[in-house]
Amino acid sequence: MKERIHKDVVIIGAGMAGLTAALYCGRMNLDTLVLENAIIGGQIANATDIENFPGLASVSGKDLISALQRQTESFGAVIDEFDEIERVTLKTSPKIVETQEKIYEADAVIIASGMNRRKIPLAEGRKFETRGVHYCELCDGHAYAGKIVAVMGGGNAAVDAANFLTKYAEKIYLIHRSELRADEVSQKRLFANKKITVMLQTEIKALRGDKRLEEIEIFDKVSGVTKVIAVDGIFVNIGVEPNTKLFSDELTLSASGRIVAGEDCRTEIAGVFAAGDVREKEIRQLTTAASDGTTAALLAEKYLSKLHG
Amino acid sequence: MITVFGFEGCPYCVKTKRYLESRGVEYNYRDIELSAEAAAECQRISGDLTVPVTTIDGVNYVLGFDKKKLDELIASA
Repeated sequence: MKERIHKDVVIIGAGMAGLTAALYCGRMNLDTLVLENAIIGGQIANATDIENFPGLASVSGKDLISALQRQTESFGAVIDEFDEIERVTLKTSPKIVETQEKIYEADAVIIASGMNRRKIPLAEGRKFETRGVHYCELCDGHAYAGKIVAVMGGGNAAVDAANFLTKYAEKIYLIHRSELRADEVSQKRLFANKKITVMLQTEIKALRGDKRLEEIEIFDKVSGVTKVIAVDGIFVNIGVEPNTKLFSDELTLSASGRIVAGEDCRTEIAGVFAAGDVREKEIRQLTTAASDGTTAALLAEKYLSKLHG
Repeated sequence: MITVFGFEGCPYCVKTKRYLESRGVEYNYRDIELSAEAAAECQRISGDLTVPVTTIDGVNYVLGFDKKKLDELIASA
């Protein structure tokens, strides 16, 4: 039988939004638990060089998150990164967050579950996962020292990944089906690096290999030519998908699968807030995630004050 | 004794080490970026350099952070 534990606030997700919310909740003396199913820091933990966080000229995601985690824990919030959430019930009072080992009864819930990288939409993608197909440069880039890799995608994450992989790989192909969307600073670095060949208007049609990835088939949309290039690995950066599967029965999701909530982060269920990338909104940045975390925490405290009279 | 192959910048390596510590499990840590010998051993075990690789006997191993499989490995130690 699982142990039942009461919490003032349970925060789902330990990325920038979740940890900021936890920091504020901790400072307001709320009994706060953060549950993280993957990596503390979320997507940002994999960022090698953040240059747009105010006050920090350049910082790695790992260092930024480590500092935030220490700061958050120093104000009393507890982070559990091992006990995975199995289901949630949000419409009851208290709200229930059931993990593999425990049942948490929470007066308020802040959902900051963030995003996951989109998987490569090719049948062979699964077959070669960790055997040439990768979703984390920081984790797996080192395995390609002196080798040839491709990066699939054209946004900031893809361009930054290609730039990062020059640290290890001998040659990098950046392959994107349309035009680059990355910011100018990153693109400038990309085109200046002789190790990188940029292939735009080019689609990856197939992945081939025996036990691991050996080559990819690409189609040049401009020339109409199909060719095969030898690669040892491919790093997929074709966007992200919101982590909202746990909540789809109880909360309204947008067409893109994100939680519908206003700028005040309030969802349609009283006491349930959505913060960060998981919330439907136009701009999703590290700074707006921190802003959402702040808003959600302060309004959760207001909600709890009313609830407890 | 459990051995974890990983490297410092790998988030799931760090998570695996933290999990073993949270369970009070002693382990050897071998950094594949700092030791060519560790990298070769890791590659021999899993056939690749994707980490973390957690093993007891150098034959059976857990690739990545997988709590259930790590629990089974710990139980078999």
